[in-house]
Amino acid sequence: MRLKFPKFLRCWGLAFRYSLFFLSAIVIIFLIAFFYSYVYSIKLLVEGAKKDADILTRETIVRFENTLQPVELIPQTLVNSLENPNVSYNDVIRIARDFVLRNEVVFGSALAFEPYVFDKDLYWYAPYTFETKNRTIQKNLGNPSYDYFSKDWYRLPKLLGKPVWSEPYFDKGGGDTLMCTYSVPIYRPGADSKTRFVGVLTMDISLEAFQKMVDGIKVYKSGYGFLISHEGAILTFPKPGFVNKNILELAEKGKGEETISAVRAMMDGQSGFTSMDGLDAKRNASFICYAPVSSTGWSFGVLFPAEELLGDLIQFLKDLLWIFAISILALLITTVLITRRLTKPISRLVEATRKIGQGDFNATLPVRRSRDEIAQLTKAFSVMQDELRNYIQNLQETTSAKEKIESELNVAHSIQMGMLPRGFSTPANWDLFATVDPAKAVGGDLYDFFYLDPDHLCIAIGDVAGKGVPASLFMMVTRTLLRAKLIANKPIHEVMQSINQELSLDNPNQMFVTFFAGIVNLKEGSMEFCNAGHNYPYIISSDGEVRQLKVRNGLPLGIFDTGSYSSGTFHFQPREILVLSTDGITEALNQSNDFFGEAQLAESLAALADKSSKELTETLIYQLKRFSTGTEQADDITILALQYKDQTVSNPDAMETMELTLLNQLTELDKLVTELEKLAGSWNLPDKTVMELNLVLEELFTNIVFYAFDDKKEEHPIRLTFTLSASRQLIIRLSDDGKPFNLLEAKVRDEFDKPLEERHIGGLGIHFVREMMDQVEYQRIEGQNIVTLYKNL
Amino acid sequence: MELSEQKTPQCTIIGIEGRLDTTNYNILEKKLMELIDARNDRILVECSKMDYVSSSGLRILLMALKKVTLSKGKFVLCGLQENIREIFEISGFTNIFEIYPGREEALKVF
Repeated sequence: MRLKFPKFLRCWGLAFRYSLFFLSAIVIIFLIAFFYSYVYSIKLLVEGAKKDADILTRETIVRFENTLQPVELIPQTLVNSLENPNVSYNDVIRIARDFVLRNEVVFGSALAFEPYVFDKDLYWYAPYTFETKNRTIQKNLGNPSYDYFSKDWYRLPKLLGKPVWSEPYFDKGGGDTLMCTYSVPIYRPGADSKTRFVGVLTMDISLEAFQKMVDGIKVYKSGYGFLISHEGAILTFPKPGFVNKNILELAEKGKGEETISAVRAMMDGQSGFTSMDGLDAKRNASFICYAPVSSTGWSFGVLFPAEELLGDLIQFLKDLLWIFAISILALLITTVLITRRLTKPISRLVEATRKIGQGDFNATLPVRRSRDEIAQLTKAFSVMQDELRNYIQNLQETTSAKEKIESELNVAHSIQMGMLPRGFSTPANWDLFATVDPAKAVGGDLYDFFYLDPDHLCIAIGDVAGKGVPASLFMMVTRTLLRAKLIANKPIHEVMQSINQELSLDNPNQMFVTFFAGIVNLKEGSMEFCNAGHNYPYIISSDGEVRQLKVRNGLPLGIFDTGSYSSGTFHFQPREILVLSTDGITEALNQSNDFFGEAQLAESLAALADKSSKELTETLIYQLKRFSTGTEQADDITILALQYKDQTVSNPDAMETMELTLLNQLTELDKLVTELEKLAGSWNLPDKTVMELNLVLEELFTNIVFYAFDDKKEEHPIRLTFTLSASRQLIIRLSDDGKPFNLLEAKVRDEFDKPLEERHIGGLGIHFVREMMDQVEYQRIEGQNIVTLYKNL
Repeated sequence: MELSEQKTPQCTIIGIEGRLDTTNYNILEKKLMELIDARNDRILVECSKMDYVSSSGLRILLMALKKVTLSKGKFVLCGLQENIREIFEISGFTNIFEIYPGREEALKVF
């Protein structure tokens, strides 16, 4: 079962929460037990009280009966004795008088006669003996002011013909006290032998006597006994004011239903035990036990407040509750302390675990000597910590290894990209550009171009089957082989054959490369080529017509070492563009999985007929990117474009040329100046141009002298070729065999319109070159820096 | 290249004659630095006879101008030939240097 704590408790510690939870359970169990014992104790107490009260009641009633018995028996016996004609009324009066004197309860006794029965002259005759203040008084009750014939004590036995107990009454003119009278009718045979009612013999009992008997009864603290008559008149009561009042009227006036029915039951002569209200002014809950006094038809009750019966119990239970509350509090504190002690190692463990979580794998776990669950948990954590430490260490090693590989891959990528030539410098009548867009960091495509000599340019494109590092390595090998094998005047197909042999020889992975290589004769505008299984090159003519150079000269390189290759020749027409590409273009996919395709490529190329090689290449790449938006590039894309512009420059007849060789010494500058002056004269160059040439050439020359050679002492030639074309374009070619330096890539601060504070001393020279010449080209061919300057006159 | 030097109460006039290039810029450099270091930092460079200046020469003039400006002196050029003026313009030097057409106008500013 899952314990769910109320929300406000969840922020408390485990110790407190569990203590509270279990203590709540204890409280509930206790309360149930408490309630049960409360109810049961009350039941027991009430039953005990009932039994006691019952006994008390019965004992009291027996005492009443014992007292009342002679009061009834003596008059009856006397009346019976009158059946004997020898017994006179006076005998009876005398005996009754003796009885009054001897009996404490009996207050008085009268023998009341019917008119003229005792004496023919006497209408009223009722000799009455009674005691008052220890004196015995005798008097005749009968007189006109006290007409006893109408009194209940006389009337009722006469009427009923049997002895009768009267209701309590205050006998004014008689005993002058509250009393009850037992009256026995007397019947005697008259002269006609007929039995007639002649009078009654009465015994008066004072209720004071019963009051005394009942006063002795004390139940608990304030419980009491009381006696009522058959009609409900109160005969005795601890408070004198209640005597002779009617108990039913009392009950009906402001007491509960229970009380009324209890009173009725008493008056009906039943016996029982029940709860009811107290009879005096207070209405406190009470219990009553009652039983009838059978001889008189009275009822005796013992009444006691419930509070007194249950008082001790309630006090005891109150004490118990207090003790329990204090114990629970003590238990709560103890439990919290103990649980906290138990959970303290957990807290420490939590602290240590948090540290581990933050990466501190050396965090110390708390030491537990015992073998409880917490110790086991700690041990498990310790194992986990070790495992984690090892795991992280392994992960770090793996990651660093991976990072190393990745950084090496990046290096490989930059090496690969760096290997691809970028200085697309060609003679002015040729326009070359190429680009690779690799699919992954390291790809299997390649292009290459390099000069065999100033007039022969080798161009090549290849696509290694596969991608990634192996493809890239294979590609580099191919390129290296091409550069190594290609020497001037060697037919291209022989070169390819040779490369193929090398590649096939040790090729465990059966890799291969489709390859196209061509040697362009820049002067003649022709190309000797060999297509080893590569895509057909496209040719765009000046009028926008697109065709393919559909020649295959052999299988891709690396498949069979015995493969043989042929070669073909292509003649450029003016403004024709040769486009070499890999299948990454035609096989580029868009989101609906359509290929870019050859038709679309041809269409695109046709529209690019008037563009420069660079524009053509970049536009094509842009179109491909747009086509395959939202898809991942699947293959490398490589494009090389070479345009043959016209033959103007390559026509030597139209040019004047002057060659000059200087040594790498500053003193040679004078020679340069002198030669320039001569040239200016013979070619009729404007003064301004001469000045600019002076500035630019001095700059380039001194740059070479200062920076191109580490060994300043050795002599190196610096060759200058001045050419003046028929269209009066001055072309100056400057070559040296010093360290590679591409002045086009040199950074020049853009500060020539800045104030003095922001100007740097230096950097002016290259700025002059760029500003004063119309076009500047740089090539690195066979260890030579070749700078070509163009100046339109 | 020939250098001439003329001291007036207001300033020192340095005249440059011929080509100022990589082969001889150090002569001018030495002359100007000597003057400035000796607190003769009120200098007029007379260029009417200078018919060529390379970037090395321009470099020296820029260095001198920077130094003189720091020491709150004055460095003024005058009499630039047309070709030389174009070179100055390409270099952006016409914005930096105080240049006067003739010697007389230049001397008035000292």
